[in-house]
Amino acid sequence: MPSLLLAVVIAGAVGLFLSLPRGRASAGRIGSLVLAVAGAMLLALLARRLGSDAPWAWYLGFALVSLLAAVRVITHTRPVYSALYFVLLVVAVAGLLLMMQVELLAYALIIVYAGAILVTYLFVIMLAQQPHPADYDVTARDPFWGCLAGFFLLALIGSRLVGSATGVLLPEPPPPGDNFTLVGTRLLTEYMLAIQVVGVLLTAAMVGAVAIARREKPTETDAAEGET
Amino acid sequence: MLLATVLLGAVLFVLGLIGFVTRRNLIIMFLCTEMMFQGIIINLVAFGRYPLSGQRLLDGEVFGLFLVAVAAAEAALALAVVVVLYRFRGTLDAGAWTLLKDE
Repeated sequence: MPSLLLAVVIAGAVGLFLSLPRGRASAGRIGSLVLAVAGAMLLALLARRLGSDAPWAWYLGFALVSLLAAVRVITHTRPVYSALYFVLLVVAVAGLLLMMQVELLAYALIIVYAGAILVTYLFVIMLAQQPHPADYDVTARDPFWGCLAGFFLLALIGSRLVGSATGVLLPEPPPPGDNFTLVGTRLLTEYMLAIQVVGVLLTAAMVGAVAIARREKPTETDAAEGET
Repeated sequence: MLLATVLLGAVLFVLGLIGFVTRRNLIIMFLCTEMMFQGIIINLVAFGRYPLSGQRLLDGEVFGLFLVAVAAAEAALALAVVVVLYRFRGTLDAGAWTLLKDE
């Protein structure tokens, strides 16, 4: 395992541990500093692996924005800002997909994620608004063990990745036809059954969501737990 | 390019995992699952775009589209549950629900 990757993962875990909300603001600045160093090292690592013909400036820009937004989502103490940073993350990921010439999925991400799912999240956040700062927003639960588990997982994945899959990839010519036609044809011929199943799943989820959210009175079990 | 993209997807996935484990707000926890979905989508697309056989596959993008649909279904159900839980207890703390806890 290359030492640069190990240093990136260690610095990222330490910085994340320091900057997760824990009720006092003093460690947050050091944590963000360590995180910035880890991010710079990670971008250097990515740039070295990109290859010469790749549009590396765009790639690194989108990668930087997505990493920054992801860290802010899990460290911000206000849920509304977390949701807005998630919109930024979705936009950056869609940019990455556009760079890989995956237009249909990129537009679907923007429309479905940023346009539909995140608006629902924002509605629920405003529905369940607490006076800031709520106790459960400013204190994380076991940040040390969480960061340690993430460190081990990322170190394992990274060592496997960097050790193995290099040098077999050739740039190939783009296929004939535009992305929408190709993917749409594939969806409606080979994946016909899967499309129908997804439609049934979405309908069932919608009916289930309406049925769950309409429940108004607590049942006996809820009342029993409320007394304890 | 494949390696860098897959590594970025792995980093996003792990960040979402850490957020899911450590944050206590139910809404932020579900937001973190969506972040893990983002990492997985990047992975799927990268493996479809730069496959080891050298010929571009479309299955990665199609799987990504299905993943978006499943994420939408999951978000609808999860937010409905969150709304009901908030109505009963008046808090979004994940630790406030201990009915199934082994005493």
